[in-house]
Amino acid sequence: MVAPANTQPKNSRYVGTLVGESTSREFRLAVAHETIREQDIIAVDAELRRPEQNSVTERIRVWAKVQRIERLNPLFPSEAGHELAATRTDPFDTVLSLSREMVTAVCQVLGAEPLTGSSGGKLDHLRYPPQPASSAYRPDSSDIARVVVGELEQKQNRALDIATLSNRPEVDVKVDGHAIVTRHLAILAMTGAGKSWTARRIIEQLAEKNYPMVVFDPHGDYTGLAEVPALHNRVKRYYAQFPVFEQEPEAVIRVVESLAWELSEHQRNNFEDLFKGAKSFIEAGEDDLVERKKWLSEYLQNDDIQKYGLKPNLFFLADFVSAVVRAGKTEDNEAATRIVEWSGRDNLRIEKKVAGWIEGLVGRLRAAGKALYRMERINVKVARSAQPLPVDRKELVAYGQISVVALAGYTSDFQATIYSLIADSIFEARVQGELALPALLLLEEAHNFAPARAATSAEQRAINTTKQIAQEGRKFGVGLVIISQRPSRLDETTLSQCNSYIIMRMVNPADQSFVRKVVETLAEEEARLLPDLDVGEAIVSGQLINFPVLVRIKQPKSQGEREERDAFEVLEEARSISSGQGRK
Amino acid sequence: MTQYTSQDYRLTEEGVQADLQRQPQLLMKLAENALTVAESLRDNYFKNTAKFVLALRKAIYLANEGQRLESPLKTYSVGDVNWSEFQDEVVTFIDGGIGRVQISSQVPILLRVGSYCVRTGERQLTKREQFGYYPVILGDLEGGSKERKDFPDIVRITAELLGGLSALERTPDLNVLMFHGPLVYLMGGYAGHTPFTESDIDLFLNQYASDPAVVNGLKEKFLHEAFVDLYPQMTDRADEWVQRRLFEPLAWISFLYRQLILVARNRKPTPLIMGVVERGELREFSERVLLERVFHGLRVKGRLDYFNQMYGRTDLKTPKSLLDKLGYTDALLMAMLLRPGEYSEQWQINKYEGLRQGNVSLPGESGTSTVNFSPLKPGGIGFPKVSGCYVHVSETTEPVRVEMFEEFGKDQLAGAARRVYLYSRLLPGYGFPVGLDIADKFAHVPAWLTDAYSKLIRHHLGVSLQRGEISDNEMRRILVQAIYMTHRDWLFRPTS
Repeated sequence: MVAPANTQPKNSRYVGTLVGESTSREFRLAVAHETIREQDIIAVDAELRRPEQNSVTERIRVWAKVQRIERLNPLFPSEAGHELAATRTDPFDTVLSLSREMVTAVCQVLGAEPLTGSSGGKLDHLRYPPQPASSAYRPDSSDIARVVVGELEQKQNRALDIATLSNRPEVDVKVDGHAIVTRHLAILAMTGAGKSWTARRIIEQLAEKNYPMVVFDPHGDYTGLAEVPALHNRVKRYYAQFPVFEQEPEAVIRVVESLAWELSEHQRNNFEDLFKGAKSFIEAGEDDLVERKKWLSEYLQNDDIQKYGLKPNLFFLADFVSAVVRAGKTEDNEAATRIVEWSGRDNLRIEKKVAGWIEGLVGRLRAAGKALYRMERINVKVARSAQPLPVDRKELVAYGQISVVALAGYTSDFQATIYSLIADSIFEARVQGELALPALLLLEEAHNFAPARAATSAEQRAINTTKQIAQEGRKFGVGLVIISQRPSRLDETTLSQCNSYIIMRMVNPADQSFVRKVVETLAEEEARLLPDLDVGEAIVSGQLINFPVLVRIKQPKSQGEREERDAFEVLEEARSISSGQGRK
Repeated sequence: MTQYTSQDYRLTEEGVQADLQRQPQLLMKLAENALTVAESLRDNYFKNTAKFVLALRKAIYLANEGQRLESPLKTYSVGDVNWSEFQDEVVTFIDGGIGRVQISSQVPILLRVGSYCVRTGERQLTKREQFGYYPVILGDLEGGSKERKDFPDIVRITAELLGGLSALERTPDLNVLMFHGPLVYLMGGYAGHTPFTESDIDLFLNQYASDPAVVNGLKEKFLHEAFVDLYPQMTDRADEWVQRRLFEPLAWISFLYRQLILVARNRKPTPLIMGVVERGELREFSERVLLERVFHGLRVKGRLDYFNQMYGRTDLKTPKSLLDKLGYTDALLMAMLLRPGEYSEQWQINKYEGLRQGNVSLPGESGTSTVNFSPLKPGGIGFPKVSGCYVHVSETTEPVRVEMFEEFGKDQLAGAARRVYLYSRLLPGYGFPVGLDIADKFAHVPAWLTDAYSKLIRHHLGVSLQRGEISDNEMRRILVQAIYMTHRDWLFRPTS
């Protein structure tokens, strides 16, 4: 391979000369001061004989990325540096030499294309190294944009415009939306690095293509999507109620114990009958339910039951248990018969003694119900003018719709449960062919939904769900976007199933090493950049892009819940409002 | 009664021994000496050395305190020296390097003299530092005796000197000019080389000045001096030398030294010009100054057997015999006597003892004629007188020798010692002026260049062999070895 004649770049674009050993994967450039930055994309022109036609040479452009820049002053001994430090001496005041520096850029070869650019941005593997002493140059923005986008150039319907090159802001970086929705994407970064910003930009871009999305939002980061004019009628926000009667009795016992007090042995032994009985009691037809509500209200002399109706929550379960206890304690055969009939459980005809043993369960259920209700209220508040989750979860997936499921207010256990129920339903519906449209599930704080080790059964269930979608979702048109600030706590299998990655600033060494281990497309030099990235900067790597690049994510149109106001401005504003109210 | 305090640990036998043991380079040198001196001296070599050093230290101390009339060694402190005293000074460092290529053995092929000029305190790098280099391909020269091992050295000395002269002339505000190595070498050893031709001198001067008038001026000035004063005293063939415009190497070098002094003398203030020598083997100062005083004192006191009694011998009666038998050098004794941050008194170094008669062959001639080099001894037209002192930078390094022109030396001694100390403190593990280390690295001929030359030469020899251009069998055999033989090549092992 030789450098082609008359193709050497003009001086203004020249960045350096190839020195030392050149290979088809890496070469080194001697560069002048500050002509180049790490992660810059550069090119070297060359001539290569075609393997099939030995006499014909082809002019190619070798594309490369600057992985590392080494700056060395060989005339400045480190021993002298220590002496300067010890004596607090300015090197300029001495006879030390400070002017002779060698700046060398280590470049990773990305691939090669015909010099004419006729390959449409697709880069071939380079099989022969570029010639030492060749000149490297800074390509035109349009050429860089072409190769960064690669084959996507021809498939614009799949392109998502999410970023610009970090070192060349004029170059737009478009990524392959198809790779994201079918082969999963992981957005990994520390808090405040711009994860939600990135996710919202991607959501907005996917929304332009009407892709159905379900966003699991633990902090209200995505409520602002509804305020984007273009998405106004397409974003549906749901608050999530904990579906008590969709759980196993054991799970509900744990909920009650975690929110109230521990159950006694008798209460635990009788819980399954009581829980299943209550479930049968409430799952009646409309007319029957009216009758049962009336009876229960009168029997317990509680007008609120009549007023607010029967709802599948812990308060109803408490009322039901209260009725069972009362019937047992008063040896009210008629009431017991009704309860057995409506619940389908003979065991709920209990003796007076047993009623005494389980009577304390009512208080526990009410206390747990209150705690759960508090969470639900926070959830509703954060979700802002939202509606409850539809009974039929398939309704969350609709053409052009973004369904934001607010999980704020709930503890991680409840969040995991709610998520796994919804995700399971959607995935199952796709598997069964009951849901026509594909869907993309976006999991914010994914380490809570797919942790490496499950601490509770709710988490285990969430892990299983996420793993299954990660492994089989592609076949059934269910994609995942996993967002996490603690990647090292994520399930390794789930993360490794993601074929695309957007990795942002990351300082925690455990997270960095985990990411290096799992993300195969992340080069060592790129991984070293992670702690030094700016807010909004990201390394985009994997199937969504032609080759890994350092980008700056474009601003989304929507705003997140937690990035809006200066805390001290809010304080002053609140003070002026409250003092104004005081005057009134 | 001694007046020094008992707290002065340095002035006790244990203190001296501890000092010696703490300095690794000193300890190694003493250990090496202990193994190489006569067997009868090996016992207690270390202990006796410590005793001798202790006696010297005490004598120096008492003299400094005014309690003894004569001191065996005058020492001075560089004082609280720091960079703020030397701001806005222009300093040029000069060093030469020889590139050798491996054919069958190392062959010198290229010489490069580097200069590094820096202005202290200057923040703008372009104004602060300038580097220059003066390459000479040894094969291009017609003169000089290439068969002699010291041929590259006379070329290097000439090129370094021209580099210094060039730096001085190009930098009107130069404050310090510092050479790596002796300011003047022991010139007697270099006598007898074939004179340089005018084209050789043009090659040298090509680097020195771009103005042909300056170059010609320098050449003509030398030839005039040589014609009028020097060559007639050196050779019977002076007319022919001048007619052929020959530049006898030592005469030319001495002329360049005088030029350097001439230019420096006309500057106000006079620039400090010095050479700094590391790892010197000289023992002249010990023999002619330090031990001469010691023996004089012993003679006065009638204790000439002092060293014989100490070492159990009968022949240690002169400074020379003491140094011969015990292996002491200036650097070794100074390392034991000077404290870090101290420098010794100055002495005139005898650089020209070997300038006597010698045989010289002229370019293109095989025969030789006798030449008298003694007119080059210091005087009106010879080499300049040189004086030196030792500066001890740190405990872990040997003292370095600083050489100055006698003409400027006395006034410049303190300034030179203080700067050498300050520059060397930036390399405490090396104990040598950092600027000279920079010039050394800059002048170094890189391996890739000498390797490339080596390959090129082998290639040309190989091509000549293949083409049958070399028919002599013995020559062919030698060339094959030269091209292919390496130190460990099994093909060329002796057959018997």
